[in-house]
Parts: sequence; C-alpha cells; structure tokens
Amino acid sequence: MRDDVPNNTPPKYLLAAETAEGAVITLGSADSWEELLDLLAGQPENDGVPPMAYRLIRTAETEAAVKKKPRREYFANFRGAGGAGREDDGTESAPWWGLDHAAANLAARRFDDLPPLAVREWIRIRHKEPFTPGALERRKRIKEAVAEYVFLAMTAALVIPIVAILAYLVVKAWPALSFSFIFQNSEDSQAGGIWAPLVGTFFLVWISLIISAPIGVLAGVYLNEYARDNWFTRLINLAVVNLAGVPSIVHALFGVGAFVLAAGMGQSLLAASCTVAIMTLPVIIASTREALAAVPMAFREACWNLGATRWQTIRTLVLPNSISGILTGVILQVSRAAGETAPILFTGAALFTSFPYHLDQPFMALSMHLYAICTQLQGVSDSVQYGTAVVLIGLVLAVNGLSIGLRVYLRSRKKW
Amino acid sequence: MVNPIPPPELDLQTPRDGGPGGSVSSHVAFRNLTVRYGTKTALDGVNLEIPRQSIFAVIGPANSGKTTLLKCINRTIDFISSARVSGEILVDGGDVYRQWNVYELRRRVGMVFPLPVGLPMSVYNNVAYAPRRAGLHNRRELDALVESCLRRAMLWDEVQDRLDLLGTRLSGGQQQRLTLARALSLRPDILCLDEFSIAIDPVTTMRIEDILRELKSRMTIVLVTNLVQQARRLADYTAFFSAGRLVEVGPTEKLFTRPEQQLTERYINGDYG
Repeated sequence: MRDDVPNNTPPKYLLAAETAEGAVITLGSADSWEELLDLLAGQPENDGVPPMAYRLIRTAETEAAVKKKPRREYFANFRGAGGAGREDDGTESAPWWGLDHAAANLAARRFDDLPPLAVREWIRIRHKEPFTPGALERRKRIKEAVAEYVFLAMTAALVIPIVAILAYLVVKAWPALSFSFIFQNSEDSQAGGIWAPLVGTFFLVWISLIISAPIGVLAGVYLNEYARDNWFTRLINLAVVNLAGVPSIVHALFGVGAFVLAAGMGQSLLAASCTVAIMTLPVIIASTREALAAVPMAFREACWNLGATRWQTIRTLVLPNSISGILTGVILQVSRAAGETAPILFTGAALFTSFPYHLDQPFMALSMHLYAICTQLQGVSDSVQYGTAVVLIGLVLAVNGLSIGLRVYLRSRKKW
Repeated sequence: MVNPIPPPELDLQTPRDGGPGGSVSSHVAFRNLTVRYGTKTALDGVNLEIPRQSIFAVIGPANSGKTTLLKCINRTIDFISSARVSGEILVDGGDVYRQWNVYELRRRVGMVFPLPVGLPMSVYNNVAYAPRRAGLHNRRELDALVESCLRRAMLWDEVQDRLDLLGTRLSGGQQQRLTLARALSLRPDILCLDEFSIAIDPVTTMRIEDILRELKSRMTIVLVTNLVQQARRLADYTAFFSAGRLVEVGPTEKLFTRPEQQLTERYINGDYG
C-alpha cells in the first residue's frame, strides 16, 4: 500500500490503454494504488495487438478525464509486451521487462522522487526499445554499410579477373596438358614438351638467388643493424628504393653492357642469372630490412644492456625472430625471377638450344619460350601456348603459396 | 654540489679487482657531467661520487635528469642518437668512454628500466641469456644461476613450473622482476634500478627491498625512485636532483632530517612546485 498517496474521498484510480490507432480505452478502475498496480500486472500480454502504452491515472472526476490532457505526465518504460523472450539461438530466456515488472517496480517505489499523484496526473507506461537509433546513429549505420560494400566490391574487382583469367587459361590449355607435355622435350617446339625451358628456368632462378640472396640479406642486415643514420646511409637507402622501381628492361640493358660485353660472359646462363640477380637484389634488401625492423628496438636494447655485442644480439635475437619474414621476401623474388622475360631476352635466353646447359652457353627459359612460341614461331597450336602459360603461372603461384604459408606460420609463432 | 661524502663504516680496505683504473674510494664518479638531447640540457655540470657497497638513491621531480644519470653509468645513453655527453664518467676509476670496453662495462653494470622488456624467449633463456653471451654454457651451473637469480627477484615461486613460458607472456609486474633477475644474472658490481617497483605489488616490493639490503655487501646499488619513502627506507646516501642539476647529496638520514637546501626540504615534504 502506498501510504503517501493522499486518500481523498472517493479514492479512485483508472487504468487506461492507448492503442496504436490513438484511441484511449479505459481498462478498469481501482480504489487503491496497490489494486491499480495489480490490475496493470494482470493485463493480458501478447493478446492480440498490445496497446502502445498504459496510463495510470488518479482522478476525482469521471472517466471523461481520461480523454483530457493531463496536467502533468510521468513516464515509465517497459520493453516489449511479451512474457518470455526468444533468444537468437531459439532458447527461451527469462521474462522480459514487462508489465508485471513495471507494476512491481512502481509498487517498490522506484519512482521515489515522484510526488503522490494529484488529480489528472498520469504515469504513462509505454513500450520502449532499449535503444532507438537517432539521426546520427542512422547516418553512422548507413556509412558503415556503404564502406563495407565498397571494400567488398573492390576486393571482388580484384579477385574475379584473376579467377577468370586462370579458368580461361586452364580451359584453353586442357587438351595439351599432360605428363609428357611437362617432362619431355620436343624436337621442333611445335607439339609441346617444355622440359628444357622448365629446367632452364630452374637453373636461372637458383643461380640468380645464389648470387642475390646472400648479398641482399647481408646488406639488409648491415643497413638495418649496423649502419648509422647519416647522409651516406640515406643515399644508399634512396638508391635501393629507386633500383627496386627501375623497369626490368633497363636492368637487361645494364646486364648486356656489364656482363655480356664488359665482363666477356657473352650471351650465357651466367650473364642472364647475374642480370636477374641485380634486378632482384634491391627488393631482397628492402624486404630484409622490413623484416628486421619488425623486431622491436626495445629487445635489442635489452640485450645490449646485458653486455651482448651487436652480432650476438643479431644472432640470438634479431635473426631468429625475423628469419621467416626474410625468407618470405626472398621466395617472392623466386617467382619474379621465374616470370620476367626482359632481363634474359638479350643476356642469355635462346629460342631453341639443346641439353645439357652450360654456364657459358645460352639456355631456354619458360618465359622466353612462351614469348617465342606465341610470336616467333608459326603454327604452334593454341593449346600448347596456353599450356606453357599455365605451367608458368602454376610455378609462380606455387612459389607464392609457399611464401604465404611461411607468413601464416610466422604469425602463428609470433612471440610478442 | 658538496662532495666528497664522508663514507661512514665503509669497507674501503678490501679493493676489488677493479677495472682499468684500479681501486679507488668511489665506485662511480661523475666529473662535470653535462648531457644534452639536441638543444635540451638534461644534466648540467654534475659532480657526484657514489661510494662502494652502498645503496645510493637518486630522487627528484620529473625531467630532473635522474634516468639520464643512470644511463650514463653503463653507456646506455649511446642508444639515444641525439644525446651529447661531455665531462667524465668514471667507473672503478676508469673513464667509461676512454678506458672501458663497453661490453665489459655493461656486464659489470646491471640495469633495470621502468618499462619491463621480456625477451621473446623462454623465462629460463631470458635469465641465462647474458651468462651465455659471456661464455657460460655448463648446464648445471646455468640451472643454479637461473634459480638463484629468479629467487632474488621474487619470481621463482611463480614461474618454477613453467620456465619454458615465453618471457613476453608474463604479466607486467612479472616481466619487471624478470628484468631484475636478468640484471642479476651477470653478478654485476653495480646494479642500477630505475623505478624498479612501479608494477610490483607492495608486499613483493618490500621483500625485494630486503634482498637489496642483503646484496649491498656484494655490489653498489644505484636506485632512481619517485617514492621518496623508498629512498629513505633503503638508501645509505641520497642525491636530490632538480632540472638537471644536483641540488644536494648526503647520507640519507641527514638529507631527510636536516636538508641544507630549501628546495630539497620542500620536495621531501611533498610541497614541491
């Protein structure tokens, strides 16, 4: 019993409901506050269309007062008209904050600061979602959705052509693809058989990496770990970055001048490998430096603090934590070396030559072979051309896949 | 500015096998030390001597050059490329820039910084790292050393079952104690502690303080702290720095009860600036 509600004669409370159409219906009357709350709690829930809101009214007048505007209005909210809620996973949850809850809270005087209801004052209890988005929130949601779809569309624009190209190539190449196509030689390049250029590409990649990987990795270590930050180091860094961006045909011309002519190697496997090594070197240096820089400086300082020399720190801390990143960078250059045609065009690749290869002799490479059978030789069937392309792309993808796998492994082992 | 300090009850008769300069009365000495970071002066003409086998506290407000002073002792200051050091820093009478081998110096001077850095390797390897680099590879000796260092740093009980856990996976306070254990692993002559207790709970801090008092007989401990009461509890001598200058230095009890400078008194009483 709510004592502080004045007990005028005759004490009369009304419970009214507002429907969605705006009509107000009197649901019942009560002689005490407690009775009124019982009446409220006893309202059927989920029975047909629930009212938009309920009103608790104290009036000394007639039921006509219900239709008049109140002198003062208080609000209490309840969430949903349902008894038990249904969670997303289908399980029944505890009853929602419903009418009986509202009534119980009113009875427990949650409206502590509320003075006793005077004549023609209402407490309106209405549905309210716990969070109703305002204009700002709606704008945020729209922008969020737009951003997500734009990024998704760009990703699709990237992925769809790749998949389409691959699918087209494989379909076109299908008739030619066979074990003997890859692992046998042909006499005239007409009927496929790409074993010789495939082996040539392997030689090219390995010899160039044997030259460029040690130089690139060690130079990267020096530049990142030893070199002081002065104008000379900055000049070298600038040169490395610029060299990485130089077109491969420029490297090819340099290779012709430096290796084929000046060093007297002639057009040979060695000259081509050196040229490709020069081409991949700056990128290996850059990726090595990036991998090393990913090891926080604080770790190095902690080691130096303990009297470790720079080399001890590099050997025991920096390299073990960056070796995967360094290898990833090197492996990515394998696929680049395998795919490039320009640097070997003038420096050692031949249209047709015979096994075995020698370091000082021209050789066949897959990329050059593809260029040759597509533009230089007449009467090579389509499927052989596409088949060569598929093998080349497959090689590049396999190497890149190896590098991605290494990167995933690296992330899973991350130690800080 | 008033130096030398009268060394009470200090055993100066038993010289340790010293560094390049041989045995002298003070373990660390700064002569007119000035350090600049670019145009900003961090330490300005500091003259200070730190006696052997004592706990020497350095207190002072932020930006007063406490940490810079500490970094000079084992040349950690070299890691900051903009720092310019002038004046002399003498450890065992030898100039750290002219006479000491920097790696040997850093093995003799253990350092604990306020931001704990667990190395990305196991707890065991974290502590065994420095001894190994210094040439100790005997597994049994390493085991004993790792245990004693971890015990002294009050970390043994928490990690003894999981010494293979990554040092970077420990909590902040545990990593701080790990760095303390690492600093102790080379049995340094000088132990520099910069705010070693900020991430450690008060009970453990008290126990570490007890151990520091014990270690005093074997090494000189230089303690930079913002907890004035910690300096008072622990230190034999205290130096008060302000704005890169040494304001006052003396036996801790005297500095705290009868400070000569008004600035010192205000800082100790907590109504500084």
